[in-house]
Amino acid sequence: MEVLRRLTALVAMAMLLASSVCSAASEYEVKAVFLFNFSHFVEWPAAAFPGPDAPFVIGVFGHDPFGSGLDEAARGETINGRPLVVRRVSDVDGAAGCQILFMHRSEEARMREVLGALDHRSTLTVSDLADAGERGVMIALATENNRIRLRVNVDSARAARLTISSKLLRSAEIVAATADGG
Amino acid sequence: MTLRTAPIRRKLMKMLLLTSGMVLLFTCAALFTYEFVTFRQAVVRQLDTLGSAIASNSTAALAFDNPDDARSILAAFKADPHIVAAALYDESGAVFATYPEAVPSGFVPSAPSEIGHRFEQSHVIGFAPVMEGGQRLGTLFVRSDLTQIRQRFELYLAVMALVVALSAVIAYFLSDHQQAQISQPILELAETARAVSDRQDYGVRARPADTLELAVLTEAFNHMLTQIQASEQRSLAQMSRLSLLQQITSAIGERQDLPSIFQVVLRSVEDNLPIDFGCICLYSAATQALTVSTVGAASQSMSAGMGLVENAIVPVDHNGLSHCIRGQLVYEPDVREVPHPFPQRIAGAGLRSLVIAPLIVENNVFGALIAARREENSFSSGDCEFLRQLSQHVALASHQAQLHGALQNAYDDLRQSQQTVMQQERLRALGQMASGIAHDINNAISPISLYTESLLEREPDLSPRTRSSLTTIQRAIDDVAGTVARMREFYRQREPQLTLALVDINRIVEQVLELTHAKWYDLAQQQGIAIELRTEFAADLPRIMGAEGEIRDALTNLIFNAVDAMPNGGTLTVRTRVVRKGSEEQTVRIEVTDTGIGMDEETRRRCLEPFFTTKGERGTGLGLAMVYGMIQRHSAEFEIDSVVGQGTTMHIIFPAYTQAFLSTMRLPATQFSQRRLRMLLIDDDPLIIKALEDALSVDGHVITSASGGQAGIDAFTAAHGTDTAFAVVFTDLGMPRVDGRKVADSVKRLSPATPVILLTGWGQRMLAEDDIPPHVDRVLSKPPRLHEIRVALKELAL
Repeated sequence: MEVLRRLTALVAMAMLLASSVCSAASEYEVKAVFLFNFSHFVEWPAAAFPGPDAPFVIGVFGHDPFGSGLDEAARGETINGRPLVVRRVSDVDGAAGCQILFMHRSEEARMREVLGALDHRSTLTVSDLADAGERGVMIALATENNRIRLRVNVDSARAARLTISSKLLRSAEIVAATADGG
Repeated sequence: MTLRTAPIRRKLMKMLLLTSGMVLLFTCAALFTYEFVTFRQAVVRQLDTLGSAIASNSTAALAFDNPDDARSILAAFKADPHIVAAALYDESGAVFATYPEAVPSGFVPSAPSEIGHRFEQSHVIGFAPVMEGGQRLGTLFVRSDLTQIRQRFELYLAVMALVVALSAVIAYFLSDHQQAQISQPILELAETARAVSDRQDYGVRARPADTLELAVLTEAFNHMLTQIQASEQRSLAQMSRLSLLQQITSAIGERQDLPSIFQVVLRSVEDNLPIDFGCICLYSAATQALTVSTVGAASQSMSAGMGLVENAIVPVDHNGLSHCIRGQLVYEPDVREVPHPFPQRIAGAGLRSLVIAPLIVENNVFGALIAARREENSFSSGDCEFLRQLSQHVALASHQAQLHGALQNAYDDLRQSQQTVMQQERLRALGQMASGIAHDINNAISPISLYTESLLEREPDLSPRTRSSLTTIQRAIDDVAGTVARMREFYRQREPQLTLALVDINRIVEQVLELTHAKWYDLAQQQGIAIELRTEFAADLPRIMGAEGEIRDALTNLIFNAVDAMPNGGTLTVRTRVVRKGSEEQTVRIEVTDTGIGMDEETRRRCLEPFFTTKGERGTGLGLAMVYGMIQRHSAEFEIDSVVGQGTTMHIIFPAYTQAFLSTMRLPATQFSQRRLRMLLIDDDPLIIKALEDALSVDGHVITSASGGQAGIDAFTAAHGTDTAFAVVFTDLGMPRVDGRKVADSVKRLSPATPVILLTGWGQRMLAEDDIPPHVDRVLSKPPRLHEIRVALKELAL
């Protein structure tokens, strides 16, 4: 009997460990899907694209946490008839050509600079920095209770002439930019 | 009550109600089905709408992995109480969120299945895709219970039941009103039919209906009634004719003579058919004409006008009558249009329609029944048929009447025959008696005859007076023998054997007057009456062929009758005459006339019948009958003239013979040679033996006598073959034990050549009946005459 109880405890521990590893591994997979999904809930003005045939570009600024996950998610997909392209950008100029720009929370330092360069450009900025919204990033992916919550800075988006679907807004938290952040 | 026998109104109402009920039911069912289908579609559509709204709203929740948000979106289903469960599946098919949060197990499938809706037992479930921007984000599942459909249908049923009930009530009242339009005329028709059958009144008519079919029906019904009424009238007429026929038939059945049958037929037809003129004619095929036999009592005046009175003759030519004579019933609806004389005659009396019915028996038309009426076309086919049948009955009755007459005649004949037979039987009995008497008398007179003849022959020295007396005795004996023979002959049914000879009538008449002198003179004087005798004899009267004795007897009878007819005296006249009929033919007449009481018609007619007598106990009724027998045997004629109170004359008329010839019977005795013969004489009567012995001994014959048959045979046997053998045997026929036949038998057995002569009192009859016994060579009747014996001996033995 003792042996059986010990065995049961061992199995339970193994399962807990496996679950946490899996959760850690899938955080950016989920975020990659989120990035892709944003293209459905946000409307870009026509001026956001250099031409009618220009691809829809998802850019990853600086540190790329997705690995090949994002590429896999985007392969073969089109957004409103435009081919989906994932780009790694490292400078501000590169960021300007993206319709969605993800900034890893490790790029906190360059965030202000990027946002400034993108002022009035129709690029949806996304970051997984918890208070990125307050800093002027349009959508922040915050992790709460092991879940990813959306925090949306509607003003920034409106300023960039982007229309965010009310459905998205409904499941998101609306934040405003703080003075120091702006 | 079943539908088949329910009254028509109820039937109609049932039909109407059933029809409207069915229509209503089908309408409701159709509506129900329609409603069911559309409602289900509505439910699905509603579910779809709701589902797609929810799905559209839940895209973000799915896209950004927000189950709380998803649950809150699903909570919107609360607005529809029928939605019992809902769920969102993510892209991988795992349950993402459910409604309600604690969903009952089994309400939500673990994985989504095909997009679309599906009705389960009490739920409808649907899967809808959750799409955003062309991207499938997940699947929405909705389960809705169907209580709303049930509730809806419960409402529907309630409404429907109400409507059905309401419309049933309305339909009932409407149909009640409507069916009357159809059932009322039919019921009226039925009522009329019942009235007709109840009251047997075929004059009732149904009221015309206003519906086309019913009007046709009513019209047909009325037409049928009209026909029934007509046929009933025909039946009644037929019945009355039948009963008339029956009445006539039974009336004529009681009658046996044609005129009365015809009269009753015509009277009945005149009164009851009726007709204006009727008569019955009889047809004669020989004259090709009808003779009016009977005219109806009421038709007499009219028949006189037409000349059709009774016994009037109507010729049959090529007119209606000839058809009738060929056996056809003739009907002329209007005789004025028929140009032949007979119909014109009928028309002349104011008659118009005419029926002539033939009277037919065994395919022969023997008459016609003629019936006529004043109106034209007035005989119906029924009348004609009646007259045809009536004529058949009349014909049959007539035939029966004729048969009855024939039967009556046959019966009368039979009765006559029976009486004749009875009379013959009496005669036969009398004949037998007479035969016996004759036999005895013949035996008794045989010696007298033999001795008288012998004396007259052998004694030439007799005084004239004695000779005259002996001659009279001989004649009287001959007459007695003749009388006896005739007496016997009279009773015989056969024509007697007559020995005819030439006879002088005048001499016989004289002899008879002499013989009957005692009757008309002596006896009359004794009774104190006077009878005057007159005789008128024709001088040269021819002789006739006849039997003297018979004629003598007949005349004796006539004279006796004449004397008897004059009980108060009178004149008796006997007359002989010769009447020449032609150059050669002559007749000899004897007339015996008295002035006596005469005979009335009845007596005159019956006087020749045997046993008819007017003399009461004194008469035998055979006198004139014997006379008549003689007349017939002589081929003579007999006439009687008689007036009651004045007297009677009897005429006997003989044919005369002008050529005289000799009778072989009258050869003189001296012609026989006198050869002596040995004779055996056998008789049981000693007197006859004695007389014959004496008579034959005189002729020189040797006589041996034997009294009785056996003695005779013994004597013959004893003498046979000796010198004293007999050359001739005389034997009597009737003898006790051994009679003449046996004697002759025995003699011939011994000596076939020896002649046997039979002497018999029945001799005459034996000759006549041709039954001379075998072995007998000659039969001589008693009393034997000497010359007859001599003739026989000469022929047989000499």
